[in-house]
Amino acid sequence: MEVLIALAIGLLTATGIYLLLRQRTFAVILGLSFISYAVNVFIFAAGRVQTKAIPIIGTGDVFTDPLPQALVLTAIVISFGMTAVIVIMALGAYLESGHDRVDMVEHEDDR
Amino acid sequence: MTLALIAAVPFLGAVLASLAIRFGRGASAMAAGFATALALGLVVWQAPVVLQGQMVVTPIDWMPALGLNANFMLDGLGLLFAGLILGIGLLIVLYAHFYLAAEYPAGQFFTYLMLFQGAMLGIVLSDNILLLLIFWELTSLSSFLLIGFWKHLPEGRQGARMALAVTSGGGLAMIAGMLILGQIAGSYDLSVILTQKEAIQASDWYLPALILILLGAFTKSAQFPFHFWLPHAMAAPTPVSAYLHSATMVKAGLFVIARLWPVLAGTPEWFWIVATTGMVTMVMAAKIALFKDDLKALLAFSTVSHLGLITMLLGFGTKAAATVAVFHIINHATFKAALFLLAGIIDHAAHTRDLRRLGGLRTLMPITFAITTLASLSMAGIPPLNGFLSKEMMLEEAAQAVWLTPWAMGLLATLGALFSVAYSFRFLAHGFLGPVRHDYPHTPHDPSVGLWFAPGLLAGLVVAIGLFPMLTASWLVNAAASAVTGTPVQKTIHLWHGLEAPALWMSLAAVGAGLALLGLYPRLRAIWDAAPRPEAKTIFDAAIGGLARVARGVTGWLHDGALTRAAAIATLTILAAGTATFVTGTHLAGTRTMLPVEAVAAIPWAVLMLAAFATILMHRNRLVALILTGIVGLILSAGFAYLSAPDLAITQLAVEVVTVLLMLIALNFLPKETPVESTSWRRLRDLGIAGLAGAGATALAFALMTREAAFDPISAFHLAQSKPGAGGTNAVNTIIVDFRGYDTFGEIIVLGIAALIIFALTEAILRSPTALAALARGRRRDVAGDRHPMMLAVATRFLLPLALMAGIYLYLRGHNLPGGGFVAGLVVAIALLMQYIASGFAWSQARQRVDHHTVIGAGVLVAWAAGVGALVFGLPFLTSGYDYVSLWPLETFELTTASIFDLGVFLCVLGAVMLSLASLSRLARAGGEPVNPTAFDIDPSRAEGGR
Amino acid sequence: MSHWIIAPVALPALMAAILVLVLRGNLGFQRAISLAGTLGLAVIAAMLILAASGSGPEVYFLGDWPAPFGIVLVLDRLSALMVLLTAVLALVVLVYAIGADWDKMGRHFHAIYQFQLMGICGAFLTGDAFNLFVFFEVLLIASYGLMLHGGGRDRMRAGFQYVAFNLIGSTLFLFALATIYSVTGTLNMADLAVKLQTLPPGDVALIRVAAVLLLLVFAIKGALVPLHFWLPGAYAHAPGVVAALFAVMTKIGAYAALRFGTLVFPPGLEATATLYRDVLLPAALVTLVVGAVGVLGAVTLPRLAAFAAIASMGMVFVGISAFTPAATSAALYYIVHSTLAGAALFLVSDLAMRRRAHGRLDAVLPPMAQGGLLAALFLVAAIASAGMPPLSGFIGKLLILSAWRDAAWLVWSFILAATFVMLVGLARAGSQLFWKAHDGQARATSHPPEPWAFTAVITLIGLMAGIAVLAGPITAWLDVTAAGLYDPSTYIEANRLYQEP
Repeated sequence: MEVLIALAIGLLTATGIYLLLRQRTFAVILGLSFISYAVNVFIFAAGRVQTKAIPIIGTGDVFTDPLPQALVLTAIVISFGMTAVIVIMALGAYLESGHDRVDMVEHEDDR
Repeated sequence: MTLALIAAVPFLGAVLASLAIRFGRGASAMAAGFATALALGLVVWQAPVVLQGQMVVTPIDWMPALGLNANFMLDGLGLLFAGLILGIGLLIVLYAHFYLAAEYPAGQFFTYLMLFQGAMLGIVLSDNILLLLIFWELTSLSSFLLIGFWKHLPEGRQGARMALAVTSGGGLAMIAGMLILGQIAGSYDLSVILTQKEAIQASDWYLPALILILLGAFTKSAQFPFHFWLPHAMAAPTPVSAYLHSATMVKAGLFVIARLWPVLAGTPEWFWIVATTGMVTMVMAAKIALFKDDLKALLAFSTVSHLGLITMLLGFGTKAAATVAVFHIINHATFKAALFLLAGIIDHAAHTRDLRRLGGLRTLMPITFAITTLASLSMAGIPPLNGFLSKEMMLEEAAQAVWLTPWAMGLLATLGALFSVAYSFRFLAHGFLGPVRHDYPHTPHDPSVGLWFAPGLLAGLVVAIGLFPMLTASWLVNAAASAVTGTPVQKTIHLWHGLEAPALWMSLAAVGAGLALLGLYPRLRAIWDAAPRPEAKTIFDAAIGGLARVARGVTGWLHDGALTRAAAIATLTILAAGTATFVTGTHLAGTRTMLPVEAVAAIPWAVLMLAAFATILMHRNRLVALILTGIVGLILSAGFAYLSAPDLAITQLAVEVVTVLLMLIALNFLPKETPVESTSWRRLRDLGIAGLAGAGATALAFALMTREAAFDPISAFHLAQSKPGAGGTNAVNTIIVDFRGYDTFGEIIVLGIAALIIFALTEAILRSPTALAALARGRRRDVAGDRHPMMLAVATRFLLPLALMAGIYLYLRGHNLPGGGFVAGLVVAIALLMQYIASGFAWSQARQRVDHHTVIGAGVLVAWAAGVGALVFGLPFLTSGYDYVSLWPLETFELTTASIFDLGVFLCVLGAVMLSLASLSRLARAGGEPVNPTAFDIDPSRAEGGR
Repeated sequence: MSHWIIAPVALPALMAAILVLVLRGNLGFQRAISLAGTLGLAVIAAMLILAASGSGPEVYFLGDWPAPFGIVLVLDRLSALMVLLTAVLALVVLVYAIGADWDKMGRHFHAIYQFQLMGICGAFLTGDAFNLFVFFEVLLIASYGLMLHGGGRDRMRAGFQYVAFNLIGSTLFLFALATIYSVTGTLNMADLAVKLQTLPPGDVALIRVAAVLLLLVFAIKGALVPLHFWLPGAYAHAPGVVAALFAVMTKIGAYAALRFGTLVFPPGLEATATLYRDVLLPAALVTLVVGAVGVLGAVTLPRLAAFAAIASMGMVFVGISAFTPAATSAALYYIVHSTLAGAALFLVSDLAMRRRAHGRLDAVLPPMAQGGLLAALFLVAAIASAGMPPLSGFIGKLLILSAWRDAAWLVWSFILAATFVMLVGLARAGSQLFWKAHDGQARATSHPPEPWAFTAVITLIGLMAGIAVLAGPITAWLDVTAAGLYDPSTYIEANRLYQEP
């Protein structure tokens, strides 16, 4: 099982990075959500995985490590907020500039 | 305290001068003059003590730890320079007041001038070389301002920049040199350093320190090959040229050489570097000066030449030579300052400084002529003027110095003297003698006494020192020379050295040949003009310009605004660092028994992998990509559930739904396709990078999952304390709201901020015409089949109360079972979202009771209160207590203060999500989505025959 | 235990909540609350630094849970210093923002500003590795809001890049933290310091990876080459006033690197040994050069200021990378100086930008309104940024130079060469902006005087002069601070780490 999880983390990361290197905002946003998937699973897995060990007192006598779960919860929420923001920014940039390219040509701007 | 006060007075003068601006130009001049006079008075008051061979010191601790202290000292050398700076300074202020045309801001000028004066005075009074460095760089900066004073002159700007680059560049080298020197000597205080000769000259760092310090001194004192900046500094107003670039600042380098003479001089390195540089500078500059037509340019090169002469004398390393150097510093200051001021007068009177356009001024400007004669003859070294005395003594020393051969140095010194005779006489002859001309740009006449007083006085000194050296100068020379050499000097100066003195014949030869040279001038000039010469300015400009171009090119190329490249570089850097550190450490493979692979897990896993691959392949179709992302999210949620993380499962599910909805709405406005842009090579490269990153993540994850923790995880405590300590059985939730509630506090604030940003950005977009136009265009593109299908609308109406119930239930049970404020908030938000989707943004918003901002604010406030509440009981922030409550129809549950905190979370999440969507909806309406009159409707565009 | 330690986080949070809740439309009210809150923060910060100077590190146990199980805040001289620096800068910048009406340009400026302060203070005060991540996110998302304040095409596009790049950093941060927790089973920084001392050899490689990944996260924040690419665009396109506040944001990276490099991964720890030094020194030297060259090569004024900021981070990290008490003390002094100097340069550049058609340096535009004063301020800000006398920068530079006696040739030549290049660049820019304008005898542009904006800049300069004059006592205080960092025992004891009975 660990092997599969590790491979999943790897593929999610790879997908994320690949999309992150695209030149359009939408792809980059998808890439970011992919690497945040990857890291969420990574945090969770770093606490070692167990089945049938829900960390709720009274549901059994073996509990998986609850702390990584709490950390992942926090991470999920934060990345949710971040995604929301970057989506609207991509929208704004697109509406203002008429295209959704990521790269800017700095030496031509005149601010 | 006196010395510190002396050093401070000019700066106060600068402040006064700038404040006096409002009271007119006169006031500023008065302020400057007053300050200078006051400082001069204080120096004179200290003089008797110093002349008795004692040293006045004022130590002030500043940074003892670093060894940088505001220690001031006044000895013979300091007295000499302080006298020059303030005495000539006073004359300059007077002259400048009459010289500066009314249209120029005199107040500014005097402010800068006094700033410089203070910095220069600081140099010569410093007893601490770090303090000296501070004043040193200050002189560079203030001279930058003074040279560029005439903003409208390009030469002024370029000259200023060149001077700053060269002198402060040298200054930076000197910083290093001084630091080394201080570290060898064990202190940065001169009074200590000057006692460390043996230690310093024995150290391996002696030569580096020497070279670095000399770099500073040579650049400042315009020694070859750094001499080129000085002539270009002549773009400054004439008083500045006279003051900074002849009498004082350019002598700062000489001052440092003289100041450190006792510890640095006397070695072969010193002799070869210093004496040679000085000699080369002297001869070369004197030769160039002969061929300059601009009076100030001629004087500038003459100054360079004389600075070289003094440097050479100091380079000889003998007491006698050093004494002569000191003497010539005085003499040069007198006649050269006078000549600069005279050049200014001529410029004023005839509106030109070009020798080719002058001549015959003798009769038109008799006073000026008289003064000029004295000064320039002194410069030529004609008896009985002071220039003659020091030149004789210089030749004497040169004749004794052994450089390559016994006679070479003497010969070259004579050559230098010869040229200086020639250009001095040329200044006089081509300027004043000859017939009166009728083509002056402006008919010249003698100026008011205000202008000629200063040069007149200096010319008086020229004569006085020449005739009565012992009376007027020797006491100062001896005091200064004693300070330089570190041993008492009692030099007697005569006009007449006797026939057997080689110097006499050398200077006779110089005068004769010099006059002969002037006779041949036209022919020499023709040769000179024909000969190709490297123009220092063009070389310098090319160098700096090239540097700037390279800098611009490199910077532009490095920072071309390409995020994709930056991200690629970052990824590779991270991978490289991670790999490098891993392989350089020891690692034991894990021994943990792995979970068996069950089909129920393997099949979703396969789907997940496929979905991810598919996303890479099909990401250009954005809708598909989004759906695939959603699928991945859902499988992850299932995976969390499978691996005993129900809270994660629920949260992931809820977040996934909301995120996908958000992005769907956003996708409404964005293009539906991502065009093919990157080359296949580029795609391959990116795949490679991505693959490496994936491999890295896999390896790290696998290594961690298969190992046990090196120490017991702290979560054991959380499990143990969840029920008794935090009053909840759901350890994850108790961690979220209690053990690590502070994290959650930060987390909801992130959400709140996100919503505020989205709101603010929407406002910004709605204010921008371009964006609005784009929106309007965007809406035309695609019209959904049925915007708000009736079934969905009905369903959502029916679902809303249930969803709300579910939300509350999740919230209440969260502490013991999967759930909690966050998920509850999301569920309620989703329920409301459904209304939006079913009946349109506007319809739902019209029925919205509370402003979303208020909900967010209230949420943060509630969470905050739950945290601060504990303080009332003297407990730390976010300390929770709990009690059991039974509320029909729900089963009995504890009400913990943590659940108040959780309520804050709930509100914050709800408000944040809703505000974000409301903002998006406003964009949609700005894009022209019609507002439904009722909840149910059919697409109006269909009625119009479906465009 | 003093509850004041939580105040730098709780107070701005309350202010922000109020600003969001009531009178959103009333600018006067918003300004009053924001000013009051920031002023209060400054006062509290002053109290805290007094407390920290008196006693050793003080720990605040959030939720009353014993360390390492709950989250702790730690007030020591270093965190107190950084909080005070933040508060003072924030107050001055806020005065400027109000004086220049920047807060009118968009919505929620003050609320987000308060949240920003909360995030920064939280990051400085926390003693918990994961909580550091949380507050990094708080301050980052707030910075996104401020950076985008006012909107506009280039700002939105640059903002997108800024956010995207920082999200990479945040993800990396999580990877590192997960690794650390997985190996050590703890997140409390003091607890980590203790446990890593007895780390089994088999885990060394993984901890080294975690350590370097963390360092790279901080390097992104601190704009170290080659992870600095986000900075020029973001700072140049951000509102000038926001860029000025950001002068302290890059220092958070420096702070975190210093904290972890002395507490969690100290030079004495065999697992990581000189890892931080080996990574930081070369990167810092290159950063210094890239920044200086950028100052000379910058096309526009805001970009010039941005590259000056990069160069200053180079200097700071050169100081930190030595990981010796003397160098650390020097670095801390330079952190204070360069924060003020960087802010001053950005504010001056903003004042100029408001009076110029555009920021290109090679364009000859008519003289600016209030040009004389502006030129003087630019000169001083430039001197400060280049680290020339008489302002604090020169002293900071001397401190760093003399702290690097070993390897003098390498470090000294880089620093002095960079200073020279910056000097040339700033002189060019200055004469272009303020002197060349007088070529064409065009009339000066007219613009309201904005007295409060100018006051803010002058205040910053005054502060720099102040820390130069008081360099003696200040460096003495910093020496004690630095010494404390290299003897973390008191810091660790203050956490009263819970032992299993």
